[in-house]
Amino acid sequence: MFNLKKYRKKSPWILHYNAGSCNGCDIEILASLAPKYDLERFGVVNTGNPKQSDIFLVTGPVTLRSRERLVELYMQMPEPKVVVAVGSCSCTGGVFRDMYNVEDGVDRYIPVDVYIPGCAVSPELIIDGLVQGLEILEQKTKEMEKPLKLFKESTCEEGIVNRRDTALKVGKIDEKN
Amino acid sequence: MIEILLIVCAPLIGGLIYGLERKMRARMQNRQGPPLLQPFYDMWKLIDKQAFIINPYHTILGMMHFISLWMVVAFIILGENLLYVIFLHLLSSIFLILAGFSVKSIYSHIGSNRELLAILAYEPILIMLGVGFFILNGSFDISVIRENSPALASLFLLFLAFLMLIPIKLKKSPFDASEAHQEIVGGVEIEFSGVFFEFLYMAKWLEYIFIYLLLMLFAGDNILLGTGLFAIVFFLVNLVDNATARIKMSHLLKIVLGIGLTLGMCNLIGLSYV
Repeated sequence: MFNLKKYRKKSPWILHYNAGSCNGCDIEILASLAPKYDLERFGVVNTGNPKQSDIFLVTGPVTLRSRERLVELYMQMPEPKVVVAVGSCSCTGGVFRDMYNVEDGVDRYIPVDVYIPGCAVSPELIIDGLVQGLEILEQKTKEMEKPLKLFKESTCEEGIVNRRDTALKVGKIDEKN
Repeated sequence: MIEILLIVCAPLIGGLIYGLERKMRARMQNRQGPPLLQPFYDMWKLIDKQAFIINPYHTILGMMHFISLWMVVAFIILGENLLYVIFLHLLSSIFLILAGFSVKSIYSHIGSNRELLAILAYEPILIMLGVGFFILNGSFDISVIRENSPALASLFLLFLAFLMLIPIKLKKSPFDASEAHQEIVGGVEIEFSGVFFEFLYMAKWLEYIFIYLLLMLFAGDNILLGTGLFAIVFFLVNLVDNATARIKMSHLLKIVLGIGLTLGMCNLIGLSYV
């Protein structure tokens, strides 16, 4: 019986959001979707619809105006999902770091799985980052299937019940102990 | 027996046609393109995704769209009444439009509006197609049409009108304003996610089967001509899809109703009086 689960990562649909970028990285993303670099050979489709996409490509330092939409788009994507920060600006803030209208990177607001450096990033790096994102997507799909299990009693300190870390995914319990 | 097998396998064959089309479009643009089985990989992934239900009617209407479209394909394969097939197909489109209007998303509403306008454009041509076959064969039954000799020569103008209808139904450029990816984010399919989007995705494959089965009716009992027609039209539709840009909905109405309706009327008048 051949393993069907390995085909899960063969169809990543991407959602591209520009969080105040200078359009340099956006053009490179479009270039990597175009005939020369041809991301579609991995099954990538640029959907533009958060409810049907798996990979969230964010470019640009998060400006004050765009942060609400960034979080909203992230919340609208169904699990499992991978966030890829494209370009120096979205990784750390880049040349805009510490400016008054900029929030210094995507990871201030949403968890980021893959960081792609460069100003502007080259299409080769985007392809490399997306393929790494696919590995993470497959891992996350496997994680979703594992059940949660209570493995220790909740603690009570000064009348406040603390249930933190009482439930973990089954695989993680062995790692902790 | 073979009919039942074909009906059960219809979505799979449609998926293969869709995969072949994506591959072919990529080769036309000098790219490598996705693998042939890419649509099935997409399906496999969508099973694992989390699904949001906006409201029950929305998801149920999406499923009804798929099921009624499958029934349409089954009726064509079984050789039922052509007029009945056309109106049942209209019903399946109506389900999709109702699903689009049942949510609050403005893009969904625009998509439904455009879908209605597209129906306004192509439905008269489909009905004229049925009438043309009736005048020629004396019956609306698809099984009778399939037994007679090819109707391509006597229905040539209607065939040309039908060629204009294919890009509208398959959501191809220049007539893909009702779906319009990136512009209105897929129109009616915007709020579907996970497993429920699969029904819409499979309905898209069944739409291919429906259109190309109707196309093969022009070939009558000549299977070789039917296969040739399918190959040529498949190539032509993809070539036009790659070569043209999207046009506005009002232009679509003007072009399809203006040229298609005139061509169809000329053909019908010619058939009745000449």
